[in-house]
Amino acid sequence: MTVVTHGAVETQALAAAVGALLRPGDVVVLSGDLGAGKTTFVKGAARALGVEEPVTSPTFTIVQEYDGDVPVAHVDVYRLERLQELHDLGFEELLDRHVVFVEWGDAVAPVLPADRLEVRIGLDAGDADARTVAIAAVGAAWDDRRAALGAALTRAGAGG
Amino acid sequence: MLLLGIDTATRRVGVVLANERGVIVRVELGGATDAAPPRHAESLAPAIAWACEQAGVTPADLSAVAVGTGPGMFTGLRVGVTTARALAHALRVPVVPVPSLDLLAYPLRHAHGLVVATIDARRNELYWAVYRAVPGGVQRESGYEMGSPDELRAELEARGEPALLCGDGVLRFRSVFEGAGHHVTVAGPAHAAPSLTALAELAAARYEREEFCTPSEVLPLYLRRSDAEIAWDRKGA
Repeated sequence: MTVVTHGAVETQALAAAVGALLRPGDVVVLSGDLGAGKTTFVKGAARALGVEEPVTSPTFTIVQEYDGDVPVAHVDVYRLERLQELHDLGFEELLDRHVVFVEWGDAVAPVLPADRLEVRIGLDAGDADARTVAIAAVGAAWDDRRAALGAALTRAGAGG
Repeated sequence: MLLLGIDTATRRVGVVLANERGVIVRVELGGATDAAPPRHAESLAPAIAWACEQAGVTPADLSAVAVGTGPGMFTGLRVGVTTARALAHALRVPVVPVPSLDLLAYPLRHAHGLVVATIDARRNELYWAVYRAVPGGVQRESGYEMGSPDELRAELEARGEPALLCGDGVLRFRSVFEGAGHHVTVAGPAHAAPSLTALAELAAARYEREEFCTPSEVLPLYLRRSDAEIAWDRKGA
């Protein structure tokens, strides 16, 4: 399902609608070019999960953890070279308790759980503020939430 | 001889002090099946300090440091193995590495048939090893393996022998194994975490036989491997 947003505020509102559906153990795989707004999306979703402290890009720390209503982990794999490094970060253990966001996650898809939310953010050549956000819920973990997700995205798209 | 033992392969943080007569102090923080966040990094050093204080010894009195090497939680093992290495390096004493699966199996050495030690590997998988009771201990009859509960169950069905299963891995998938037939028994939560008494006993015996290594030789057992490079198509552009 695809929603077009205009500006960071709308992208974060969309992300908040998605974030409200997330549970510990969920993985959100974010893809999109540099500057597309992956971190912006995480900020909006994290706020909906009760994270009050500022969410910053984990490009250099690789993993940032936040305490919200549920713990949130924000992972950026851009600086990794080997899939093994994701295991070495303790990625599997983050899934015990956290909602986990993985920027550039499509690059490490082979070692991510099969059940996941895929968020692809595309730039628009004609409009610097516009973003095309394509969201797909993959796997049985989403079976009972797919309808709610569709409704949330429709509402967010209609409001935007 | 004074031995410090550390095991952090599960959520449980375990510290033991022992001499040739046996355990002096044992500290366990958090259960292996606890839902609370693990606190290996926060708890381990204070637990060691408290154990030494209660025993009236200082780290300088240690003859060796023993450590459970997993397989198990990456974050926990890194804290445990690094602490063991750093202490041993600073004190100029050897390290005795013992796989944590062995520490689960050893207390069940009086069982008839097979003993199968398991540790939760996450991602719906577990680590396991199959042991057989022999006089004075257990003998490992498999490699240190990683796989799905169904794979382990199939292996046990193929072996067809009575088997006693222990560890937090099997507790997590209890229903899979309790349906495996009468020859499979699941040990309860008392056998969920690697035994610190076993660590003290096994490590003391190995220390006496000089089966130890230098700090830099000790590594955790990492069974989950992904050797591929990440296929970055945007990075080199």
